[in-house]
Amino acid sequence: MRTIAERINHINHGLLLLVIAALGWAVPGAGYLFLGQTKRAVIVLVTIAVTFTIGIYAGSIGVIDPVTDGIGILGRLNPWYLAQILNSPLVFLIGKTTAAGAYPVYGKPQEIGQLYTSISGLLNLLCIINCVCLAHLGPSALKGGRNAQ
Amino acid sequence: MLSDYVRLLAAFTAPEALTMNPQSMLWMLPLAAAVAAVYKAIKMPTITARSFLKESFLLFASIVVFIIASAAVLWLVTYLAIE
Repeated sequence: MRTIAERINHINHGLLLLVIAALGWAVPGAGYLFLGQTKRAVIVLVTIAVTFTIGIYAGSIGVIDPVTDGIGILGRLNPWYLAQILNSPLVFLIGKTTAAGAYPVYGKPQEIGQLYTSISGLLNLLCIINCVCLAHLGPSALKGGRNAQ
Repeated sequence: MLSDYVRLLAAFTAPEALTMNPQSMLWMLPLAAAVAAVYKAIKMPTITARSFLKESFLLFASIVVFIIASAAVLWLVTYLAIE
C-alpha cells in the first residue's frame, strides 16, 4: 500500500514526463534541453528543422494537407499528416492554411515533400520517446547500446 | 529588405520543378544523413564533435550502401525475370 507522499511523488513524476514530452513536441530538442542535454538538443533541433524545411521547400506547404480526397480507415484524414503533425503543433497552423486546397502539389515534388516532412516528424517522435525514457530511467537509459563505453 | 523576406517565404508556397530521372535518387542522401544524425544523437552516451561525426558518417554510409545493394539485388531479380 502506497503512502500519500509516495502517490504525490508518483503523480509528480508522471506530470514531469508529460511536460517533457510536450516540450519535445512543441520544439524539437526542447525535452533534451530541459534535461540538460544541450548537445543532443541542438543536434535534434537543427536536423529536424532542416529536414522539415527541405520538405516544404521541395514540395511547398501544400504537402501538409490534413484532408484526402478518398475515404480510408481514418476517414478523410490524410495518413501523412499524422506523421507530419509530430514535428510541432505549428504544423496545425500550416494545415489550416492548406486545408482548403489553395496550394496544390502533385508528382515528384509532393512525394519528396511528404517523405521529408513525415520522416522528420517520425524522427521527432523517436526523440520524444527517448527523452521521456531518459527522464524516467535516468542516464542508465543511454547505456547498453553499441556505443556504451 | 522586406521584399527579400517576402520572396523567401513565397518560395515555400510553390513546389520546385522536380522531375523523375536517375539524379532524383540523390534526394535520399539528405534524408539518410538526417536519420543517421538523429539516431546517433539519441544513442551515443557522450557526444563529442569528433565521435559524433565519425559515428554518424559510418551509419550514413551503411544506409547508403545497403540501399544500393538492395537496388542491385532488385535489378538482378527483374533482369533474370525478364531475360
